[in-house]
Amino acid sequence: MKRSLPLSLTLAMVGFAATLPKPAQAQQTPVAAKTTSARKPVAATPAAAPVATITVNGITDIDPTKTIGQKNAPLVMEVFTDFQCPACKQLYTTTLQKVAENYANTGKLYIIHRDFPLQQHAYSRIAANYARAAAHIGKDEAVELVLFQNQEKWEANGDVKGTLATVLSPAEMKKVEALVESQTLDTLVETDRQHGLTAAVNQTPTSVIHTKTGQVFPVVGFVSYENFKAFLDQLLAQ
Amino acid sequence: MLQSAPFNFRRIIIWLGRIVLAGFFIYAGYAKLFRPDLTPRVPPKMALTLFAMQIDSYQMVSGNVSKWVAHTLPFAEIAIGLLLLVGWQLRIWATIITAIVAGFFFVVVRAYAMGLQINCGCFAKPEPLTLGTVFRDGALLLLAVLMTVFAYQEARRPHPWIAAASERS
Repeated sequence: MKRSLPLSLTLAMVGFAATLPKPAQAQQTPVAAKTTSARKPVAATPAAAPVATITVNGITDIDPTKTIGQKNAPLVMEVFTDFQCPACKQLYTTTLQKVAENYANTGKLYIIHRDFPLQQHAYSRIAANYARAAAHIGKDEAVELVLFQNQEKWEANGDVKGTLATVLSPAEMKKVEALVESQTLDTLVETDRQHGLTAAVNQTPTSVIHTKTGQVFPVVGFVSYENFKAFLDQLLAQ
Repeated sequence: MLQSAPFNFRRIIIWLGRIVLAGFFIYAGYAKLFRPDLTPRVPPKMALTLFAMQIDSYQMVSGNVSKWVAHTLPFAEIAIGLLLLVGWQLRIWATIITAIVAGFFFVVVRAYAMGLQINCGCFAKPEPLTLGTVFRDGALLLLAVLMTVFAYQEARRPHPWIAAASERS
């Protein structure tokens, strides 16, 4: 028994060691990959898109209705979001609104909302389609906010439309529904998702910050405003 | 025979623990401070802010606390790793390192159980937190516990070489 203890412990250690990620897996470097790939045009898009997209700082397929700030800002940030993801809700309600107010509205940062509906969320693509349609009638901010604030409610019953109706007038609602039903904006949501896949995004929220000098910093998950602010200030001071 | 040999099982585990854990700690601290994975390189101040953002993603502490942890942990990891490697006051550093690894393990298990899709942040580079991360941290914790327990046990008995020398004299 005494003699078998070392052997069993050694075997246990070897077993655990086998679970270690292989260097290639662990690398997974969205950083290096993104430096080169995030700016590549996505094959599936602009020609098919019914609405004109723009290119800013080399970043293609930007839907101007889903952006905040000025295009010539020194920093550009793509935020890949899923409306049904709790961490996205937290990021939006506690951090991004302050970032938009203090950095995007002051010309320091250009924020691009990228939809990245995850497969496992039943209503996130529907929510993304409705939010996109609302953005095209100038109601982006109000609709994004109401969707995030009431996330638990509509993900329980799937009533995305009912949630939007609380902030849109009947006439606006009609326009949004018409846009969703026509499916003319669906390609924009899919284009965003493809951009995320190209940039190795596999989690939401993922914020990808681009500098004018070509540096790319992917930030995964929720981030507090204090640390976001510190990082943006450091990038701006460079 | 096994107990009196200069390299018995306990001593091998202590040595293994010292080398492996010191290596992990020193590299983890260095990676957080200098971000060798980023091209072009970023200054340490920015690297530490990026680490603070990774701590944020665990959704456990406020932004100011994660900032403090980010500006303390990498230096502590390097210092404790070096002290463990040197072996001076081994029991103290082994105990501290075990407590830290237990903390890491708890945090990783909690995030995994909550289904947080985040990066581990263990070595600063983007490394998704998976079941493999949980097992790795579990293995390190097991090694740290064994090393610490054996270090205390070994401290009670003189090393056979030293004992033999003192008997001769």
